[in-house]
Amino acid sequence: MTRPSVAAVLVGVAIVAASCSSAPSGTVGDPPPPATTADVEALIESGAPAVVNVWASWCIPCRSEAPVVSKAAEAHPDVSFIGLNVRDSGDDAAAFIAEFLADAPMTHVADRGGTIPVDLGGTNGVPATFFYDSAGELVELHFGAIDEPAMARYLDEIDR
Amino acid sequence: MEFSLLGAAAMAVGAFWLVLRWEAARANATGCTVDLWEAGLTAGIAGVFIGRIAAMISAGINPVTDPGQIVLVRSGVSTPAAALGALTVFAILSRTDLVAAFDAVAAAALAGLAGWHAGCLTSGGCLGAASDVPWAYALPGSDITRHPVELYAAVALALGAMAVATWRQRGRPAPGAVSGVALVIAAGVRLATEPMRVSLDGGPIALYVAGVVVGAAVVGVSQISASRSAGAGPTDAVPDG
Repeated sequence: MTRPSVAAVLVGVAIVAASCSSAPSGTVGDPPPPATTADVEALIESGAPAVVNVWASWCIPCRSEAPVVSKAAEAHPDVSFIGLNVRDSGDDAAAFIAEFLADAPMTHVADRGGTIPVDLGGTNGVPATFFYDSAGELVELHFGAIDEPAMARYLDEIDR
Repeated sequence: MEFSLLGAAAMAVGAFWLVLRWEAARANATGCTVDLWEAGLTAGIAGVFIGRIAAMISAGINPVTDPGQIVLVRSGVSTPAAALGALTVFAILSRTDLVAAFDAVAAAALAGLAGWHAGCLTSGGCLGAASDVPWAYALPGSDITRHPVELYAAVALALGAMAVATWRQRGRPAPGAVSGVALVIAAGVRLATEPMRVSLDGGPIALYVAGVVVGAAVVGVSQISASRSAGAGPTDAVPDG
């Protein structure tokens, strides 16, 4: 059993080495303002392609996909990126934005009851990402954490 | 790992195992004493998680405070870190006969990569850049047809695996040459298919170019080493009589 042990030690070393890194600490700003379904629909129908990313500070996969969302928002300034924070406290949401989405050009709104994603045609699951074309039509709905190839492909669908 | 990716992982492991078994019956007489199945699988798994940890660190997520995220490979794996991690782990596990082990596992590794790319069929991520080629198809609900780029990569890697396996079986490749060619094929396939992918930043082209260059260098060094050995051989082998 020597060989698997060596691999396990390597993974352990990588984890320990990773612990030496520090997470970025941004300045915590204001919590996202509360919004209704109509408010979000107005943002979606602004005339530009739109991406609605449903997230929450307590959602572990949301932390993992946040860099992909942030990078996509920076790479596509002509697309309106809307962060829909659901079932969360204002302070926790603000801290999440400061830590993971501080540099992303996004508009964040809060949905304390978590009903807006369902109104838009989705589910209660978090995370989820809605992709709309410039006419405001839903083109794609991705459930779960989104990876970079899928994000790039769906953006290509709405931003051509 | 999400269930959609489990299918891709199963195809990768299955293809790796099949080629390893196929070669073991034919061309694996390399003097290699390493258990290639165990070492390859361990290296592959370790590589995925090393790549995931590297991706987390680059995203500012601490793997120690958020260990649960290590299993979320869907959310991003650093390809360079995963590749280097897997190669390093495999090298450590097969350190007693390094070159023979790498040569012996080369075709199976290419087949495993082919299986991983073909896993787009279960993960729903086959499509790349928009195209009008007759075999292009569209995402559900879309009228934009696209290259099935992951299937291109899968077919090319599978053909590469077959070529490498056949070469080992019928030819007499210099020690290390098979590994170098396999690296050239793996990196070259990604390099060739990258223009047909959509990405947020153009993809890690420099990494793939480096892979091709390093693979070619390995082939060159192995051929030079083999020709020197062959040149010195007859002098030593001249019979006394």
